Amino acid sequence: MKWDVIVAGAGTAGLTAAVRAAQSGKKVLVLAKGAGATHLAPLTIDVLGYAPERVESPLASLGGFLADNPDHPYARTGEAAIGEALAWFSDVMAETYPYTGGLERNILLPSAIGAWRPSALVPVTMAEGDLRRDEPMVIVGLRQLKDFHPALLADNLQRAGVPARAVELDIEFDRVDVSTVGLARALDRPEVRSLLAAQLAVRLRSGERVGFPAALGLRHAHTVWSELQDRLGRPVFEIPTVPPSVPGLRVDRILTDALRAAGGRVILGSEIVGAQPDAGGVTVRAKAAARDIEHRADWLVLATGGFAEGSIMLDADWRARETVLDLPLAHVPAAGEARFVPDYFDVQPMARVGVAVDAGLRPVGPDGSRVHERVLVAGASIGGAVPWKEHSGEGISVTTGYHAAGQIAPKASPSVGTRAAA
Amino acid sequence: MTTLQTEVLVVGGGGTGAGIAWDAALRGYDVILVDRADLAEGTSGRFHGLLHSGGRYVVKDPIAARECVEENAIVRSIASAAIEDTGGLFVTTPDDDPAYGDQFLAGCAEAGLPTEEIDVAQALRREPRLNPGITRAFTVADASVDVWQLVWALANGAATRGARILPYHRCVELHREGDAVTGARLHDERTGETVEVQAAFTINAGGAWAHEIAEMAGIEGVSVVPGKGIMIAMNHRLVNTVVNRCTIPADGDIIVPIRTVSVIGTTDIRSEHPDDLPVTQEEVDAMLADGERLVPGFRNQRAMRVWAGVRPLFDDKKAGAGGSTRDVSRGTALLDHGERDGVGGFITITGGKLTTYRLMAEEAVDAMVEQLGHDRPCTTKTTALPGSEDGAYMSPGTRLRARDRHLKTEQLICECELIERSTLEAGMRARGSQNLDDIRRSLRLGMGPCQGGFCIPRATGILHSLDRLTAAEANTSMRSFLEERWKGVYPILYGDQLRQARLDDWIFQGVLDVEHLPGGPDRDVAATTAREAS
Amino acid sequence: MSAVHEDDVLLGLIRGSLDHCVKCTICETHCPYSNATSLFPGPKYVGPQAERFRTGEEVTPDASVDYCSSCGICTKVCPQGVHIAEINTRAKAKLAEAEGVPLRNQLLGRPDKLGALGTPVAPLANWTLANRPLRALAQKILGIHRDAALPTFAGTTFQRWAKRHTAPPEATKEVVFFHGCGTNYYEPDLGEKTVAILEHNGFKVTVPKQGCCGLPLQSNGIFPAGRAYSKRLAKHLAPHAREGKAIVGVATSCTLMVKREAREILGLDEDPDVRVVSEHTFDICEFLLDLHDRGELRTDFQPVEEVVAYHAPCQQQGHNIGKPALDLFALVPGLETVEMHSHCCGIGGTYGLKEEKRQISLDVGADLFAQVREADPTIVACDSETCRWHIEKETGVTNLHPVEILHRAYGL
Repeated sequence: MKWDVIVAGAGTAGLTAAVRAAQSGKKVLVLAKGAGATHLAPLTIDVLGYAPERVESPLASLGGFLADNPDHPYARTGEAAIGEALAWFSDVMAETYPYTGGLERNILLPSAIGAWRPSALVPVTMAEGDLRRDEPMVIVGLRQLKDFHPALLADNLQRAGVPARAVELDIEFDRVDVSTVGLARALDRPEVRSLLAAQLAVRLRSGERVGFPAALGLRHAHTVWSELQDRLGRPVFEIPTVPPSVPGLRVDRILTDALRAAGGRVILGSEIVGAQPDAGGVTVRAKAAARDIEHRADWLVLATGGFAEGSIMLDADWRARETVLDLPLAHVPAAGEARFVPDYFDVQPMARVGVAVDAGLRPVGPDGSRVHERVLVAGASIGGAVPWKEHSGEGISVTTGYHAAGQIAPKASPSVGTRAAA
Repeated sequence: MTTLQTEVLVVGGGGTGAGIAWDAALRGYDVILVDRADLAEGTSGRFHGLLHSGGRYVVKDPIAARECVEENAIVRSIASAAIEDTGGLFVTTPDDDPAYGDQFLAGCAEAGLPTEEIDVAQALRREPRLNPGITRAFTVADASVDVWQLVWALANGAATRGARILPYHRCVELHREGDAVTGARLHDERTGETVEVQAAFTINAGGAWAHEIAEMAGIEGVSVVPGKGIMIAMNHRLVNTVVNRCTIPADGDIIVPIRTVSVIGTTDIRSEHPDDLPVTQEEVDAMLADGERLVPGFRNQRAMRVWAGVRPLFDDKKAGAGGSTRDVSRGTALLDHGERDGVGGFITITGGKLTTYRLMAEEAVDAMVEQLGHDRPCTTKTTALPGSEDGAYMSPGTRLRARDRHLKTEQLICECELIERSTLEAGMRARGSQNLDDIRRSLRLGMGPCQGGFCIPRATGILHSLDRLTAAEANTSMRSFLEERWKGVYPILYGDQLRQARLDDWIFQGVLDVEHLPGGPDRDVAATTAREAS
Repeated sequence: MSAVHEDDVLLGLIRGSLDHCVKCTICETHCPYSNATSLFPGPKYVGPQAERFRTGEEVTPDASVDYCSSCGICTKVCPQGVHIAEINTRAKAKLAEAEGVPLRNQLLGRPDKLGALGTPVAPLANWTLANRPLRALAQKILGIHRDAALPTFAGTTFQRWAKRHTAPPEATKEVVFFHGCGTNYYEPDLGEKTVAILEHNGFKVTVPKQGCCGLPLQSNGIFPAGRAYSKRLAKHLAPHAREGKAIVGVATSCTLMVKREAREILGLDEDPDVRVVSEHTFDICEFLLDLHDRGELRTDFQPVEEVVAYHAPCQQQGHNIGKPALDLFALVPGLETVEMHSHCCGIGGTYGLKEEKRQISLDVGADLFAQVREADPTIVACDSETCRWHIEKETGVTNLHPVEILHRAYGL
């Protein structure tokens, strides 16, 4: 089958590129080995959190940061693209799951164990947890939810000078081991919300804001959150925790729906096992039952996730390789040099390894010249960043995904709107 | 400062020391067992888990082989709950001389070691991952042993007979009164307190550290050569039988299936000090290559963790300086310091291997009993350890079967190793420990493929909620778990395990932001910001 | 030596794929069954995690694996390439081997035998299956739930029709039809319509002697019989495959079995017949869309004024071909299509027929049924017969195979 754009990878970067391209009228197919890392990440759009000191304002700090890190993905896309990408993302989410924030000032939100996470753009359902405000917090957990420990969270906030306390609820489920997803699905139901609110209301104090694990509904998150706020009569905020990520699932759903509405398609379980770029486009072979399926497109966006997803591999001979197109990698330690160092919290030599790209997000060789014209790279596959330390992961994904789509359809408008005609 | 009195002080809580505590307690002695760290953190906790059939010694060391044959049978009967009856194979790989197999058979006959040569085809049916190019195969009674199960069964067994088990009590001084050792000064590593022990007899079971202990009694010349060996745990059981290369003992010539993993070992490099055990990239690469001989494709399997152990090789001053330590005796050394050095009430036992722990303990306690002039025979040969009374071996599926009965009633905390919440909480209470590493060792928490990525935040939260830890301690505990775990992971971080490590980085640093918990350098910044806002 | 294992390189790779698991939880998030019941601990648990505890010869120590439906969604969504469903299905089979297979499962595993038995006495058989007290008795004795949707015997077989049917003389190309048990015994008219569509597009349709693909036997853990069925079917179809002909099927579960599961789960990857048949097998919508891509599909569709809710069965998803039915529907004027977003209707082949699993199957399907009600369609289209019967029973909406809509649109 023939497409305008094939996107490899269904994570934040891939879906961003796909949606933007589809909404600008392109026929888009997303092929992915499996579900994207949206399922695992908190989906706060972290642009720049640590550089390495905590960043108060990405807008103010980016210049200096990029001067120190000229090979960073943001340096490739340019700073302007970040703001545009965030605005675009906000727009897409606005109707169902609105976000708030921007590049001027990072919002500081509590992490699931009580550290302070700096994020640029956060869902409104989380925003009331801003640690710069001084209302005391009550952190609510559930006995059945083993991935959220309100007492530890509250204690750590206390130690940092934030008045916080913990409350543990006990709601009956059909099982003793509930995941955040299970809780979220339950809270999509009004009767469960009532139960929760009733149990909780008697234990709240005045002037408190109420922190929950990020599980306030899956399909109807904004509704669930605002309803709870009304019922409890206090600000309510979600706190993202370890995978599975409910906020991530929400965003995944919204982006996938937007893609379908714009005429795009997603096929999971469809690993790309071969790709032949040429002057006019790319022929892609994707794995399917019994035989591979060939697709042809004008453009290929590689948003396959990097080491964490296995699209860049380090083999037992300590050689790193990008597995779809064997694209040249940057920041690889020289042969004989250490790949890793003994101190866990140091920046590891392998940390920045990823595909080398230019300002157009095309893969480039060691001499900087483009290896393929019709291939774009987006997301965690790009080298030059240490996203989990910088707290820049989703920022990079959204920005590079946005920018990649912009390379394909330069006249694409930065804002979304109507569902594209079929 | 506390003062304790006892009859027997055992310094060193590895297999030997715990075995001595059990043996002596069974003979009616009051015992205190101490170790500077957790039990079995020395050599015992860092080997590949093999209960020797003796096959590895039949050609070069027939006495050791015979010992293994006997002790293997005894340990199987008294400590079955810590043993998995994997059986063993000796296989002649294409790199090995097939004629060695005949020497092997002859040696087995001589040592009384039951063995049988089987068809290569049969061996390959039994172990489909084995190198199809093997030319000969022999069965033996190797087994794998969970050393923490074993050591804690010994310690707990001793404790039920009144022994006091004191991990994290470092021996800093041995008391001499005239020509006898009368006790020790201990430093409680966790509280910082000093504990005095008055003992009628002291047994130095310090293994690779035995010379340090002996020196505290003013005794020179107890020279123990640290023979470092690395081992790599592969993510799943590539084989279900212990597989040995049928050749002169060499590096990387054995793969041991133990619980959910298979362990390949080992190397043999003299180390300067038993606490200095670096794992080098060259050793790791060589070990992975060695694995290919036994299991083709080994290098592309998922390596989960690497560590170094240290053999205590008693040096009869015959070994040369540096290089391979294989030629230094693996035999046990029992030093009666009364005879040897004129210092009574003190013996040292060192060398040996875990398989013969019981025999070593028997010999040590016999020597003590003789010095004390008592008549108390050893009964460990026929006394089952707590938990092993029914003689049932452990099997890898046990935890899985047990878990199935608790699906509706128990939360699963460590998913890789199937540890339930009540087990964890009970373990935490029993150990009284703040240290996640202690729990890790005894329960295998965080020792599966995810290396703690999911279970450690849970366990930390639970420890904190049990009031076992303050938040500060919880934070430190989590960070130090991560740092310790990393040391065992980064030398083998390629392929699948690198993927895992990246996901763990995202969870710990990206989502939880462990690095910036209060108590770290960020603390002041956080407090400042909070003050600004108010 | 367990009959579940065969010395097969691919099986080693399947089991070895557990090494790729990084415990990310994505499979559990999507598993329709573990989300519906706590009796099933989930694909991550039962697959890569528990497999580390199952040694070569030891019986599967975890009975909860029986609650896996083998829907395969886990394998589809796993970003690391773990063959989760395949590991699970083989663990189920080891359990079945050790504990014995109840009569009910032996029966449900052989739809060809049941079909052959019931066809000559179809009116009586159908009456029996619809009779409430007899169904209650069947539940008591066999464990087949009284309310589970069972098909009605057609009284004749598709094979019989095919033998009497002659292809139009102007056919220029040839294609082979793998109709499956469902079409043969219960829905021969679906087979007739499929042949008509293919003939309309210039094909001569060969309907060779065939048989059951063995999927129900595999799902119920009866591997030796499953292999025998699979090999026998392959033997009938292989000569055609070797001539380069395409083999099309209308039952996406059966075609997936032939394409993939016989190789990856039963371990028949090295059987040359199984292999060549697998490589030449297509789902009918996949086949028709491929024709369309090449400009070879006739698009003389008349308007069909219906609202169609399309549900892609879990095993259709396992083909990894997207949803070609949707693209075909887009060619039919007047057709309003609403895509259902559900992983599984809950029937799981024979899973939802079983007494102890009936409620789980309803809970799994609840979301789909709610979506259907909300879409308020006139037709539900679905590529698998067991799903159609189940969805129709639970929603009351007429269920059709996608090609039945095309057949109508062609005006055949």
